[in-house]
Amino acid sequence: MDFALSTYYPIFLFLAFLILFAIAGTIVPHLVGPQRITPVKQMPYESGMDPIGDARKRYDVKFYLIAILFLVFDVELLFLYPWAVSAYELFSEGALTALKEPIFWEVLVFLATLAVAYLYAWRRGVFKWR
Amino acid sequence: MNPLTTESILHSFPLIIPEALLCLVACVLFLGGTFRPGRHLWGSVAFLALVVAQIVVSTTPPRAFASSEAARSALFSAPIWLDSYGVLIKTLALVGGMILVLLSWNEIDDHHAPEYHGCLLTIIAGLCFTAGANDLVTLFLALELISIPTYVLLYLPRVEATAQEAALKYFLLSIFSSALLLFGFSYLYGLSGTTNLHGIIDAVAGQDLLEARVVPGTLIVAVFMVVAGLGFKITAVPFHYYAADVYQGTTTPCAALLAYVPKVAGFVALVRVLGFLPYNLGAERGFGPMATSQVSMLLWILAAVTMTTGNILALWQTNLKRLLAYSSVAHAGYMLIGLAVAPHINFRTGPTALIRAGSVDAILFYLAAYGAMTIGAFAVLACLSSRERPVEEIKDLEGLSRSNPGIALLLALFLFSLLGMPLTAGFWGKALLFLSAFMVESDPTALDGGSVARWFRILAIIGAINAAIAGYYYLRVIAAMYLLEPRPGEKPLPRPKLSPALVAVFACAAITLLLGVIPSLLSNRAQKAAEGKVPVATLPVEQQQAER
Repeated sequence: MDFALSTYYPIFLFLAFLILFAIAGTIVPHLVGPQRITPVKQMPYESGMDPIGDARKRYDVKFYLIAILFLVFDVELLFLYPWAVSAYELFSEGALTALKEPIFWEVLVFLATLAVAYLYAWRRGVFKWR
Repeated sequence: MNPLTTESILHSFPLIIPEALLCLVACVLFLGGTFRPGRHLWGSVAFLALVVAQIVVSTTPPRAFASSEAARSALFSAPIWLDSYGVLIKTLALVGGMILVLLSWNEIDDHHAPEYHGCLLTIIAGLCFTAGANDLVTLFLALELISIPTYVLLYLPRVEATAQEAALKYFLLSIFSSALLLFGFSYLYGLSGTTNLHGIIDAVAGQDLLEARVVPGTLIVAVFMVVAGLGFKITAVPFHYYAADVYQGTTTPCAALLAYVPKVAGFVALVRVLGFLPYNLGAERGFGPMATSQVSMLLWILAAVTMTTGNILALWQTNLKRLLAYSSVAHAGYMLIGLAVAPHINFRTGPTALIRAGSVDAILFYLAAYGAMTIGAFAVLACLSSRERPVEEIKDLEGLSRSNPGIALLLALFLFSLLGMPLTAGFWGKALLFLSAFMVESDPTALDGGSVARWFRILAIIGAINAAIAGYYYLRVIAAMYLLEPRPGEKPLPRPKLSPALVAVFACAAITLLLGVIPSLLSNRAQKAAEGKVPVATLPVEQQQAER
């Protein structure tokens, strides 16, 4: 395949925009925003945790539940993307066409299994923030 | 991918109907349990699912192929291949599952019952998958389908520190062993260029490797890692440390499950990967000299060390569950004899008609016998034990023959079978394995100068000595029940009422006696199944189909 730089222009544009946005994001608030400094605001940001203290802190178990639920959907997407990309190209010609339909149903079975897990978590009260 | 391959993949779907059914019912249990707790309701649903799956397994006709080319293509590409060996293992899995459901019935509280039985069904489905796996990927997934619900099962019923320790220990060692197994699988794939199990054996036995210029010793590294990874599941010796602690820490039904299911899965996987290695792997095949002999010697050492260590450690135990744990280590050692023998049995008839009867089938018979007697022994403990009067130590059983003559007799039956007394299943299991080691004949043309037969006779003798050592600790329990008086001041154990767990005890006793009196019920079928499993490199597929 011939290499044509012009095909990469959108990416360079995107990159330039990203860098500009990052710089603007740090400079503009300093110029525009109100500056009311408090000790809490001056602390390094650690996702709501106290950055200084004992490392062996107890977390509420509900954080873990949410994290695992997130993982479920994360993995689901990871699994669905390759299928969605290849389903209508790879499986539409040659010997693989015979597999197109079974694989579609397999994906549905996979989604149904996830739905069962989701419903189970729901019924067991994982989504209640107690 | 050619059309035949596609077709063979498509035709794998009907073969997994029993497993799919079990997984479906497991989903129903998980969801249904959130609406309605109840151990009787969900226990019966789980039991029914296993019965239906068993009916499906035993009524599914063997798959017919249009041509021998189609059959061959299926053998080398299908992720699932169900031969009669696999069907027998599935039956073992499902019957074992039924007994485990009965055993757990009243041991689990109403609230946890649906999850417990759901996990149990998933584990049994995983075991069925292992029986039919024809691909490294399927095999690994099947083994993980057994492991992951097991972690949940270990956590579910109890919250005290020992149970937590048991669950954590099992979890960490189990994922470690999975990593070793994957390492071995990756080397097997590298050696043969395929993940198909028959393809791997074919490549290892064939000339392909010579062209590929394999580094000598690669096969040994692969086999070493696979054996190490699966050795954890079968509690072979360097990987046996967890057994006693985990069995002791968890509930009795979970201990019975751990003693049975991972062991069956581990041995089936080992048999699938190593049980059918052809004998004639020589230096000219691109391996180091005597690759098969090295594999076989590795298993020889593992067998000897495992049974001796298991038996000797069991001698010091006073806790019944720890004693049974070390006894299960020893039994894994006996079964490893069959695996070590496998490449050597009947090689005289040449590589064209390798018949492995007497090794792989002996393992299958032993798994059935071992399952019945070990689950039976655990089930007796579960029946006798109660919250007010737990049965943990051998001394808790003192004088049992006075207070509970019937149940003492049943426990004695299981212990005699574990010991290997005639008229019990354990006797025939040991007899078949030891005889297979004696039946190995030397090949005068082999590089080792024909010393193989002598080595395997020594292994059989080590086995026999071990069976004698085992007599001490099994008979100690029986002596406590029959020769000692109940301790003064201690309430005698209450007589167990008729419960599902007691039914499980009776079922195990029936299987132990039945296989002990008429071993041909299973051994003939196992032998036929093993004969059907001839290495594919050398045999037309039609013949394999005829064996089914």
